[in-house]
Amino acid sequence: MPIFNDTEHFYSVLVPFFNMLKDDPGIGPKIFSSGLVVQFIYSDPQAIITIDCPNKVIIQGEIDLKPTVSMSMSAKTAHKFWLGKLSIVIALTKREVIAKGPLPALMKLLPLIKDSYGMYAEYLKKIGMEDKITNWD
Amino acid sequence: MALPEYFQFQDRTKVIYGQGTLSSVGEEAKLAGGAKALIVTDKIISKLGYAETVANSLRDAGIEVVMTYDDVPQDSSATMIQTLYEDVKKLGGADICVAIGGGSVLDTTKMVNLLLSEGGDLLDDHQGAYLQEKPLNPMVAIPTTAGTGSEVTFAAVIKDTEQHQKISFISPFFAPNTAILDPDVTLSMPPGITAGTGMDALTHAIEALHSATSEPVSDALALGAIRMINEFLPVAVKDGKNVEARGQMLIASTIAGIAFTNSMVGVVHAIAHSIGGIAGVPHGLANSLMLPWCMEFNLEYCTDKYAQSAYAMGVIPTGDPAADAETGIAKVRELISKTGLPTRLRDVGVTEEQFEDIAMTTMGDGSLFTNPRTVEDHIEIIELLKKAF
Repeated sequence: MPIFNDTEHFYSVLVPFFNMLKDDPGIGPKIFSSGLVVQFIYSDPQAIITIDCPNKVIIQGEIDLKPTVSMSMSAKTAHKFWLGKLSIVIALTKREVIAKGPLPALMKLLPLIKDSYGMYAEYLKKIGMEDKITNWD
Repeated sequence: MALPEYFQFQDRTKVIYGQGTLSSVGEEAKLAGGAKALIVTDKIISKLGYAETVANSLRDAGIEVVMTYDDVPQDSSATMIQTLYEDVKKLGGADICVAIGGGSVLDTTKMVNLLLSEGGDLLDDHQGAYLQEKPLNPMVAIPTTAGTGSEVTFAAVIKDTEQHQKISFISPFFAPNTAILDPDVTLSMPPGITAGTGMDALTHAIEALHSATSEPVSDALALGAIRMINEFLPVAVKDGKNVEARGQMLIASTIAGIAFTNSMVGVVHAIAHSIGGIAGVPHGLANSLMLPWCMEFNLEYCTDKYAQSAYAMGVIPTGDPAADAETGIAKVRELISKTGLPTRLRDVGVTEEQFEDIAMTTMGDGSLFTNPRTVEDHIEIIELLKKAF
């Protein structure tokens, strides 16, 4: 069983989660203060989610705006990433994650995102996807 | 030592060592498949006649020398690299690059080779990690210092002149096809540069060893390099014409390069990159200034690794690895002292007013990700800077 059935399912899980991060008083302001436009490009299923920090919005799908940094990965890798089960260094060397753009900007952002790992597992429980917290292989 | 759950190790470079091997560059370039060469170097190496030796060797092998660029500064900028690429392109391009010089020359050449192979804009199209999908044009690297390891590494570091920070580019395809280690070309290196670059090599080895992504192959290489550097760096500093010491240091530097390009580095490099970008301190010297303090910072998190490092530096095991690890840090300080390098940030022009900026920039350096101890915030970096001041 795949983690996400299709693009629509993926968006229905991840976009509300991104918005949850945006609205979290401990995480949202820190991420937005980076001033970056960070784009996540997913495959299997294909999807694009962009965090537009200057405008404080989460955007689903293609956009005209050029991202400061983009991170490409499969949806399964993204799932592991948000669960905090992915070593980003190893994922980069294995090309499971492809990071394009100024690395210093990305490196400043990743520790902020780290705070949200626990939130993703809790969120999955809330939306009835508890089985996907450990069963993602 | 426990095995990591997963690791990968690779070395993409043919390494050739020997006195006089510089003149084999033409044949090696031909073997690598080049027909039109760009030679990249700096003014000092050019003045010493080595660039001319390279050009003659290439021509003897039937390779056209499109251009010899001999104006690489201590820290190349993206603009300089882009301009060089455009200039070479106007001359019909080059299908092989030959670099002879220190780390900046080698890293500059890697980036020019990237542009000559794939085109585009260096910052807009190629910034990132592990972006490249296929091999680039061949490159031959001839290091004239013993420290950078760039002749075998997957990385290139250039300066962002607007942000005053170093930018790293990483891909296994940046590693040169061939590295020629000729100790003769390092004989004229002055003691200060010998010491600084040698400490860069030691830092590569120690950081490879303590890295959060270290693995058994790179550990073995790192320990070998530490042993060689501890023995031969003081000799090379004291007696620059000692070919044995020069050769040992060149090889140790290459070994340390292979180690750290696989297992990565840590907080020492993260801070050194920032000190270099903001205060203009040469990279090897910046590493040397921060190394013992950062080892103390990491000590509890990699005690066994530092004990291993201590044994490689001649410390006799006492049965107490923690005590041995501390003795190892003292040995590092002793080695720095033997090289005659400055030991305080204040002695190299770093000011306390720069601490905040250095610390904030350090927090964005990718090397922090593989430090054995998580750096929680920039205040911890400021504390380290205060200690080293």
